[in-house]
Amino acid sequence: MKKILIFCIAFFAVLVTLVNIPNVSAAKPHYVITTDATYPPFDFQDKNNQYTGIDQEILKTIAKRQGFTYTLKPMSFNSATQSVSSGQADGVIAGMSITDERKEVFDFGTPYYRSGIGWAVKKGSDVKSLKDLKGKTVALKTGTSGADYALSVQKKYGFKVTYFNDSDTLYNDVINGNTQATFGDLPVIQYAVKNGTQLKVMNAKSPIEAGWYGFGVKKGDNAKLLTAFNKGFADIKADGTYDKIVAKYLGSSAATFTGNKKDNSSVLGILKSNDQAFLKGLWQTVLLTVLAIVLASIWGVFLGIMGISQVAGIRALSTTIIYIFRGLPLMVLAFFIYIGLPSVIGMKIPAFIAGLVTLILNEGAYTGAFVRGGFEAVEHGQMEAARSLGLPYGKSMRKVIMPQGLKIMIPSFVNQFIITLKDTSILSAIGILELTQTGTLIVSRNSQGFRVWAIVAAIYLIVITLLTWLSNWVEKRTRA
Amino acid sequence: MSDAQAKVKVHVEKVNKSYGDNHVLRDISLDIAENEVVVMIGPSGSGKSTFLRMLNQLEMPDDGTIVVDGFNISDKSTDINKVRENIGMVFQSFNLFNNYSVLENIMLAPIETGKMDKAAAETKARQLLDTVGLSEKADVSVNSLSGGQKQRIAIARALAMEPDIMLFDEPTSALDPEMVGDVLEVMKNLAESGMTMIIVTHEMGFAKQVADRVVFFESGKIQESGAPKQVFDAPKNERLQEFLSKVMHA
Repeated sequence: MKKILIFCIAFFAVLVTLVNIPNVSAAKPHYVITTDATYPPFDFQDKNNQYTGIDQEILKTIAKRQGFTYTLKPMSFNSATQSVSSGQADGVIAGMSITDERKEVFDFGTPYYRSGIGWAVKKGSDVKSLKDLKGKTVALKTGTSGADYALSVQKKYGFKVTYFNDSDTLYNDVINGNTQATFGDLPVIQYAVKNGTQLKVMNAKSPIEAGWYGFGVKKGDNAKLLTAFNKGFADIKADGTYDKIVAKYLGSSAATFTGNKKDNSSVLGILKSNDQAFLKGLWQTVLLTVLAIVLASIWGVFLGIMGISQVAGIRALSTTIIYIFRGLPLMVLAFFIYIGLPSVIGMKIPAFIAGLVTLILNEGAYTGAFVRGGFEAVEHGQMEAARSLGLPYGKSMRKVIMPQGLKIMIPSFVNQFIITLKDTSILSAIGILELTQTGTLIVSRNSQGFRVWAIVAAIYLIVITLLTWLSNWVEKRTRA
Repeated sequence: MSDAQAKVKVHVEKVNKSYGDNHVLRDISLDIAENEVVVMIGPSGSGKSTFLRMLNQLEMPDDGTIVVDGFNISDKSTDINKVRENIGMVFQSFNLFNNYSVLENIMLAPIETGKMDKAAAETKARQLLDTVGLSEKADVSVNSLSGGQKQRIAIARALAMEPDIMLFDEPTSALDPEMVGDVLEVMKNLAESGMTMIIVTHEMGFAKQVADRVVFFESGKIQESGAPKQVFDAPKNERLQEFLSKVMHA
């Protein structure tokens, strides 16, 4: 017992050290700003895995001139906006159109870019007008004004819709013919086409519902940040910096920022040019997995012991906890903790902690269920014999039932460890830059879906193989 | 019957037990004296095993009083662990601890209850292994033993706590016929040493030979009890006669 306790404390210590947010000089205000992970030319990663684009350069320039610092959190557009509305982040800049609906939730800064909705089909498609979409499927990006518009005319034109969280996967879906068209922000689609995406924009000259992009903060909060943004924006607009930034991104191809095409034509090239990103992603994945395995196992064994308690109330509590957290999809739980909880408890929860807690609750529930089952699988007579000799319940459990039960459970534990590793990929949804999210970002930059995902898949398989070896080794040692 | 002056070790008064609609024990009363060997016989489902299991609180009576060694164990507030240390129990299915070696099985309870230190427990365990004739099995895994060996180890394990009452719940029913003799031999020696023993069994020959008193259970009641000679040779109760005619001709 003591050993486990020391283990726990050590792990929490490591955890706290690892996720500690770097100290920021007290003099300058510091903000957390979210953005869309893949929204070129507004938001995307350059060849050094740094975030760049029109939005990012505007933000960076304004921050410098207005004297504030910020931590950038790239994630899906939907999570980016929700993080701000739930108070997890202070502001969002993500090519976000200013709409009446969003004004209910956000305060917007000075509109900074004129945009509108465009629609596109695969090059060579026989869809010529919106009417041709009858019975076809349209790909939409979750939470965007393009998606809202498409839904508003869905009945009129009689098409079906399907949703994506990142632009690149969405474009590929249309190009591959799974879906027949997409609606999105006109400049973004045009930029993608300019950079070689095999789509055709159908309304280049006449954007639908033309509007403006705005920098958003939670309604009623962060007036100081908004004022700083507006002041800074007026400044860069006046001295021509703004025009230079826009011209810089719209006037050159993506390769200027994202690196030489040669690097992307081979697996080795991709690995070489992204080795730091892959390593960082892998580290996050491994860190999440190891912490989750250890903590979820402890929590699960605890739940399992509660599940066979002599007290009916404790058994019921264990059953209820297992029922709830086994029943909730991992992603729902992650969103609930990361986006739902903070506005209720009035405290920010870092994505890594939210993700780890999600894993502990979910994997711990599965662990609890098989731990309880394992203890119950130990012959009833073992307990009776121990009790008959005068051993108290707790001692009988520890000395006789648990060692036998744990042995029965070893294969289930190994299985759960592997599932935990794979489940970490789902946490990319709340913006944790683990291996899967790293893959998404790299693909969004180089459009090499096949090669990048093959690399990511191979890395997962290697880690799973190592984990299986380690588990088998431990299993053999406990058998001996 | 034991003599009238003997100390009462087990006092049972008007005990009832039901599982749902099944009334398995009805108003059972029974006193057992120190050094007495009581054998309980009867058809399956007659309540004799349930009765035995109540004597160390593996089952709780619905009402009535059970006093063992001066402790009222039908009272929930009695520290049952202390009482159990003085009551050995041997099960039909042995229930040796699968996660320990033979020697560790015997040493576990004396060490964990604080009764002996490790060295004393080991000395005791080896001595008991010698008594049951299994000294050479000290370090093997319990799964490698035959049924008869397992049951003799189980008896040694119970004796390691130096109990003054031993309960046996059909100790030979799960054994191959050729193994039964060894186990009964150990029990016989134990009886001769003066241990108070309460035994549920179908071994009529053993009952005749070893018992001070035989108790016949049927339909949750004690239908007849007395010295073996009386119970086996001159049964008065009709159901006992019927039962004996069945088991003796089997």
